[in-house]
Amino acid sequence: MRLPAGSFNLILIFALIWSALSTPEIGALTGFGAGIMMDLSQTSPGPMGHWTLVMIFACYVVAFLGYGDDNVRGNPINIILLTVVGVASAQSVFLLLGFLLGQAIGSFQQALLVIAGTAFWTLIISPLILKAVSFIHSAVFGMHSRI
Amino acid sequence: MRYGGDNRGRLLIIILVVTSLLLITLDLRGVRVIDGLRTGTQTALTPVQRLGSWAVSPFRNFLSDVTHLGRTRNEIEKLKDDNDQLRLALQNREVADIQLKQLKKVLDLAGNGGYKVVAAKVISQGSSTSFTQTITIDAGTTSGVFTNMTVLSGYGLVGVVKYAYANSALVQLASDPAFKIGARIARSEQIAILSGQGTRKGLLQLLDNSSEIKKGDVLLARGSQKGRPFVPGVPIGEVISVSNSPGALTETAEVKFYTNFSTLGVVAVVVSEPRSDPRDALVPSKPQPTPIPTVTIYATPGADTPSPAATN
Repeated sequence: MRLPAGSFNLILIFALIWSALSTPEIGALTGFGAGIMMDLSQTSPGPMGHWTLVMIFACYVVAFLGYGDDNVRGNPINIILLTVVGVASAQSVFLLLGFLLGQAIGSFQQALLVIAGTAFWTLIISPLILKAVSFIHSAVFGMHSRI
Repeated sequence: MRYGGDNRGRLLIIILVVTSLLLITLDLRGVRVIDGLRTGTQTALTPVQRLGSWAVSPFRNFLSDVTHLGRTRNEIEKLKDDNDQLRLALQNREVADIQLKQLKKVLDLAGNGGYKVVAAKVISQGSSTSFTQTITIDAGTTSGVFTNMTVLSGYGLVGVVKYAYANSALVQLASDPAFKIGARIARSEQIAILSGQGTRKGLLQLLDNSSEIKKGDVLLARGSQKGRPFVPGVPIGEVISVSNSPGALTETAEVKFYTNFSTLGVVAVVVSEPRSDPRDALVPSKPQPTPIPTVTIYATPGADTPSPAATN
């Protein structure tokens, strides 16, 4: 859905929150799965595997930053901030990779606006779904991962 | 950040990265399986997309009302005088009325241009997360809609069909950064290339350095062979500013598209080219100023009553 000044991507947010609660290996696998789903979308302008590559790295890094550090994983605010930064970084890398692959990316200002808008909406949406993601994560991996 | 990783973890990440690189390579080399996967997914997800569009429509309408608060204020004040039942009925009919109006306008445009069209409803707008501008419409190959067909609104060009499925199609909007169209300036033979910029404004580049453009010039589609991807004569937009860089080989200009891409409800897909090029027949007419009557009163000294004379 298109919203004022950008939009949000539920798969992207879900995958990053899930990764923030997981080990780096699970994070990379989550990124792979989420990336494949985003690549299968017809609105994805890049070749198949474009989002997958970006998401593997984004989810791995987010999981790596959160793993073993209770200051990050135990605090919902840190997870939300990590997700917002992860979304903005993933989009920036996606844009850069697209540029290297020869895709048209439009004006720089518009790209910045979309990234900022998506980060804003991610900041709004993440707290709303964090509890649900945490609940599912703990159901799958055990109670120790519950926030 | 106490994670050190192990060999299995590293191996897993290497396998995943290599897989994604392999997918990129296969897709860039045009392996058909990848296209088939995307097409299959879209076909399977079309009913879900329709359901999602229906489910989020109250939220979308609310946001639309908030962003167009100034424009709807007068309408809301007028509705306050009506009773609750009538107000409810009006709200329910509002969406249908807008779509009907859009349909009438787009059919008028298509009729004037001699285009054979298939009308379609917009069922979803593509996310801008991937820096693309797309919409999905509810007409597909079963309705005669195929790839590389021109899509119109009542105001002019909307975009081009990028992918067509059985019951839906993905339309690349003219505002998409990857969109390019050959354009002609109305009432002249000057040609140019118009590119989308991600907003309602596009960038026009003239091909001939001796040509000149000025603010207010109307752009029409030049048309392609056999009318695909573009049929000729479709109004695109109007030049709003011209940039004359001393070092530039040709002039460039900023163009505002006639179509407002964020309010699209009903569109039409041109399924066959017109028998003849409509040339400038579809250039939108400029709004005419409404004449204001002026009353002049001549007062003659000594006369009983002044004599009024009305002029326009």
